[in-house]
Amino acid sequence: MNLPDCFLADLPPEATLTPSILTEACRALRRNREQHLAVRSTSQIVRVLSEVARDWLREEFQFRRLALEQGPALCGFPQATLAAGLDAFFGQLTPEGFHALLEQELGGTSNLDAFGGLAHGRGLARGPELIVHVTAGNIPVPALHSLVLGLLARSAQFVKCAQGTSFLPRLFAHSLREADPRLAGCLELAEFPGGTRALEEVLFAEADCVTATGRDETLADIRDRLPVKTRFIGHGHRVSFGYVSRDALPAGGAAACLARAADDVVAWNQQGCLSPHLFYVETGGAVAPEQFAALLGEELERREGAAPRGEVTVHESAVISLKRDFYRVRMAAACATRLWHSEGSTAWTVVFEGDPRFQASCLNRFVYVKPVADVAEALRAADAVRGQVSTVGLAAGGTTARDLATALAVWGVTRVCPLGRMQRPPLTWRHDGRPSLGDLVTWTDWEI
Amino acid sequence: MTAVAENQPSGSKNRMTSSLRPHADAIAAFIARRPAADDALFDKLALALFAFQFEHNPAYRTLCTHLDSPAQVRHWRDIPAAPAAAFKELELTVLPPADRTAVFHSSGTTRQRPSRHFHGAESLAVYEASLLAWVGPHLRLRADGLRQFHFLTPPPDLAPHSSLVRMLETIRRAHTGCAAGFHGVLDAEGGWSLDMAGLLAALTEAAALGQPVAVFGTAFNFVHLLDALAELGQRMRLPAGSRILETGGYKGRSRSVARPELHRALSQSLGVAPECIVTEYGMSELGSQAYDAVAGQAATRILRFPPWARALVVSPETGAEVSEGGTGLLRMVDLANVASVLAIQTEDLAVRRGDGFELLGRAAASESRGCSLRTA
Repeated sequence: MNLPDCFLADLPPEATLTPSILTEACRALRRNREQHLAVRSTSQIVRVLSEVARDWLREEFQFRRLALEQGPALCGFPQATLAAGLDAFFGQLTPEGFHALLEQELGGTSNLDAFGGLAHGRGLARGPELIVHVTAGNIPVPALHSLVLGLLARSAQFVKCAQGTSFLPRLFAHSLREADPRLAGCLELAEFPGGTRALEEVLFAEADCVTATGRDETLADIRDRLPVKTRFIGHGHRVSFGYVSRDALPAGGAAACLARAADDVVAWNQQGCLSPHLFYVETGGAVAPEQFAALLGEELERREGAAPRGEVTVHESAVISLKRDFYRVRMAAACATRLWHSEGSTAWTVVFEGDPRFQASCLNRFVYVKPVADVAEALRAADAVRGQVSTVGLAAGGTTARDLATALAVWGVTRVCPLGRMQRPPLTWRHDGRPSLGDLVTWTDWEI
Repeated sequence: MTAVAENQPSGSKNRMTSSLRPHADAIAAFIARRPAADDALFDKLALALFAFQFEHNPAYRTLCTHLDSPAQVRHWRDIPAAPAAAFKELELTVLPPADRTAVFHSSGTTRQRPSRHFHGAESLAVYEASLLAWVGPHLRLRADGLRQFHFLTPPPDLAPHSSLVRMLETIRRAHTGCAAGFHGVLDAEGGWSLDMAGLLAALTEAAALGQPVAVFGTAFNFVHLLDALAELGQRMRLPAGSRILETGGYKGRSRSVARPELHRALSQSLGVAPECIVTEYGMSELGSQAYDAVAGQAATRILRFPPWARALVVSPETGAEVSEGGTGLLRMVDLANVASVLAIQTEDLAVRRGDGFELLGRAAASESRGCSLRTA
């Protein structure tokens, strides 16, 4: 990859990061922010981001081309998966999308620029001077999303990528640099193993705000090491599932619903928190849950032809193979279990299980279908993951959708979206149900 | 499912015994001959045993959904493998309940349902013949004037369902010239721990006698022994020619120690030469075991099964055998499994190395990646 050495993550692997390099990088970020970012208006930032996003949607855009050419080797996703993921993400970054976000999060599009009218008096929002993001990197877009929010907040940002995951964040940063070098001067990216304490201590001491995604233990460890004054925004491990109401499966009309379910399984090969581990399908519809599973298998087989899953590690492949063996044995033991899968590969697997208890998938296009009588049964069956469910992809008729969404919300689900859009959250998505941009800023209230 | 199976009278004891015996006898004879690598005879015995098991092991037959008749399988490599996990869910045996004189359970946490590998008199005889014929030459149990065996497991009466304990007891009974002791006890939860005082006293005495000993145990029991020695600030110097057989994983019962480090620590703390420490790979679902060295000889540390148990390393993606140096899941075809299923799909990842393999460990132990597992 021929990218100039602009960011620490661009340096060759033999270059060693030291605490003093990071200290200097953080100070440079603050200086650059003061000069080049703090002085920008929201509309200027929105314009730059929207233009860069529009470029990313163009096939001939050099950074997109690089992402699709080298991404399969460098991030482990096949081209079609990457292309769909990039389209879904950058397609959201429009002036309209930003305005909706600013209205939702800050009550107006210019409240970061000047005192704006709020319900009671006026308010001016400010972002942190320096945000440090500690990203998990199992899929690349959350890091990009964080960068976009930070830029809107006019924050300098340091992204600490997990090992082997900086490729797309780097390409995005380089694309910003090409469009607006001074803006990109307020960003830094580095890749080093989590737990490299000497380096992390520098970042944690310099940051005004630290965001992190990861296991609960990782988050707890980071939070314990931050100064009291430092804002911490942590996003722990979450799981998601789909819910198909019987009225979404009319006789002869299940094809659209199945295609959407397959979209959710295929997106990022289920590697993100928003991807479904299973689909709860209501009994009593024109298409029985078991039949839904069989048809989903057929749909996944078609997807494999059009957008193959691609290679996985031998370890991942072994886990899928052993899971299939396990369910074959279950079938032989006369449990209410059935199995459909790709032949001669581990490319896709659908397991139907009569037992509705929530079951975590081994991912990479391996999904469960479980029958339930109603949403109450599904939520009882998912009790083990209550409080950890991010998204439910819902397929339901207009009249039942509201009741189902309400039941899911009361139980604790933080996002309900149409089936087929689970891995395509809008820019206004509230991660873990919390304000996104809103959680980054600090307000000055001016009471008149 | 097949005409043959449906026509079988529901196994009277005599009939079952008489039908198992010819296979058990032929395989015992094969083992006794110490064949170098008789592929043709192995193939013949394996296919005959497969046909027998297909007909008499109904649970296994339900796993062979793609077969109408055992005759469709033409080579031992194509015998359908039962997943090791199937021993937890199904009764994978040709033995009617009355003939099941022993059952081996997998180790593991008590919360999990254990594997159940049933044995009868004939299958135990083959099991014992198989293990003795392969452990003998690897541990060189009749060489160097070996006088004592020390087993770091509980005795058979405390662990009646452990295949490892059964193996050690078989070794004890076959070497009556050696004094032998079991130094394991059960803790409050039924887990294995050591009668440390008794063990240390026995080893100290053996060291003073100057006659070589063999110490057998699981990796976690050896870690417990090493920790105890470290706490006492003690080192032992077992007599020259002493050996160690180390097997199994940790299963959360002690801290995990990488194998080379464990061997180094054992060598330092017990005074046993590194080339006299042998690793065994075995499982309750298999009648045969693999060893990675011959005691006293410099070794490449490649695990090898005996000629009557063939290891295949297969790609989990395609099911095809991997090429030399490739990684895949270990699949076994073990003639010593006469009364259950000879072809077993293990959950262990291995690298194919010549006529053996290098073990990488349990594949299922890995977590699914999920959202956040790569942060660290």
